[in-house]
Amino acid sequence: METKEERQGLNFYFFFCQRIDKEQEKNRRTIEKSMGDKVRLFPIPCSGRIEPIHILRALEKGADKVYVLTCREGLCRYREGNLRAKKRVSYAQKLMEEIGLEKERVELINLKKENGMTIDTLVEDLVGKKTNIGSSPLNKPLL
Amino acid sequence: MPKKYHIHTSSVQNRLPKIIKSGVIAWEEGCLKCARCVKKECVYKVYEKRGLDGESMVDSTDTMCMDCFRCVQNCPNRLIQKGINPLYRDMGDEYWTPDIISNIWFQAETGRIPVSGAGYGGPFSGPGFDSMWTDMSEIVRPTRDGIHGREYISTTVDIGRKPMYLEFGDDGSLLTPIPPLVEIPLPVIFDLLPFSPPGDNIPQSLIAGARSINTYVIMKWSYLKEKGISPLQNIIPFLDGNTDDIEEGVIKSIPIIEIPDRGEPVSVQNRLNEINPQLVVMIRVELAPGIEEKACDLTKKGAHTLHLCADEFGNEQAEKPLFIKDRVRSVHGTLVEKGIRDQVTLLASGGIAMAEHMAKLIICGADCVAVDIPLLVAMECRICRRCKEGLSCPAKLETVEPQWGGKRITNLMGGWHNQLLEVLGAMGMREVRRLRGEMGRAMFFEDLEREVFSNLGQRGQG
Ligand code: SF4
Repeated sequence: METKEERQGLNFYFFFCQRIDKEQEKNRRTIEKSMGDKVRLFPIPCSGRIEPIHILRALEKGADKVYVLTCREGLCRYREGNLRAKKRVSYAQKLMEEIGLEKERVELINLKKENGMTIDTLVEDLVGKKTNIGSSPLNKPLL
Repeated sequence: MPKKYHIHTSSVQNRLPKIIKSGVIAWEEGCLKCARCVKKECVYKVYEKRGLDGESMVDSTDTMCMDCFRCVQNCPNRLIQKGINPLYRDMGDEYWTPDIISNIWFQAETGRIPVSGAGYGGPFSGPGFDSMWTDMSEIVRPTRDGIHGREYISTTVDIGRKPMYLEFGDDGSLLTPIPPLVEIPLPVIFDLLPFSPPGDNIPQSLIAGARSINTYVIMKWSYLKEKGISPLQNIIPFLDGNTDDIEEGVIKSIPIIEIPDRGEPVSVQNRLNEINPQLVVMIRVELAPGIEEKACDLTKKGAHTLHLCADEFGNEQAEKPLFIKDRVRSVHGTLVEKGIRDQVTLLASGGIAMAEHMAKLIICGADCVAVDIPLLVAMECRICRRCKEGLSCPAKLETVEPQWGGKRITNLMGGWHNQLLEVLGAMGMREVRRLRGEMGRAMFFEDLEREVFSNLGQRGQG
């Protein structure tokens, strides 16, 4: 099991539906100040807009773990965005497994609450969570 | 007639993917596989050229779509929708709105005037500059005549003190000492930036822009000195530290300098003029209630130019601040009443975001304006103010090439110059000096409201 320090050494990429936190532009700054480049946040118009390419590109660019945050099922403004996001994520996982990457490197978080969530607390919780994954093999220098 | 002033613009590509108002939200599931898919019919080929910028993770559909809504309307299974692009929505603030920012981007990229299509869609009143309407009653022919040179309209203004009359000796020689005056071809100078990422590329871009349109940029003397920037061509040093901390040689080599409003600014001005009698001195005064008196006092003492500064949102320093246009109007009016307005030059800055703000402030009594934030926006700034907090700049402004930055600023100023020509043409004016204080050529919403409604509900007398 990796230690907290190791966890903090990981790079996290977050894709999240803009409707989760209307004040994301302000709230994300707290987290950026404390975590610097380790965390990168990308708001999207709707979580259904996520494509496997986003996830794969994030991994290629140095993410050790990619999170996709969606609003609660049934609450999508575009009806089915979060359901689509789920499908896209599992498709990306399939592709990742094919090339030998753990599928846990991408995780979809379906938020349960309706409102009142801020992106900084969400990110803080998720980064603090125990994971089994270490640094991505893509980030290791080639031998 | 002097040579016509013209700003040469050219298309200067963005460095980053553009952020547009809305994003496309398209599902693949449920696709009927029509023979002629609406996505293939996009006239801008948004779907065919779709790509992802790996660095910013911006999807090209969020940068290329022109909002024609053709695909949204025509997909038979309603699989395509449009949503507000969060990156767009989060730009700027209530004053520096996303629309203003993208408007400045357009001008900086193309050097052209933004055209809104058929007619003006508002706002017709509101806070700030929106509550002021300008008179365009003289539109008797295309307002673009000025732009295309079919009509000669001058945008030149003078900075400095002006004598009210001239005295001649018996032999006809001029007895009145002529105070120094600097002419600039556009009533705009570049001001100190309220925020910006560190580094020298941004200041260098501003200098390049100022040189290319032949105006001036105000820069802190402490910075210029530390960096050893020389020559100071097109630069106005602002004496931010001790006002004695500048060498005589430098004072003699520059045409304009700015000093803070500390202690006795006019005696500092006189001291500088003893070293260089041709030096125009600007006094940087913060706008605040009661500033009218100070302006009169400084003018009577012989100040050349007062630079009246409001904050980033055009507000003065006060608990219930007045907006820049209102305070400048009042300063101008007070100086007129005292009969001393023409002696001094008024420069106004703070919250100037669009070309029309420049024209409106001039109508309110400023001779010239100083811009700040739009210069950053011309270089793709999003007014997130992250740099102020020490966070990374999403537009990576610290890495701009000064040549590129200078060209973008030149384009923006080219757009503003043309818009000023249009306003002047539509008002039937041939030079911007005549526009100063022409309050009869504008209507102010508050005044109209008072005039029309103040009598309502009051019982007639007699
Ligand atoms: S984009 Fe943001 S961080 Fe960059 S210069 Fe503009 S305000 Fe500063």
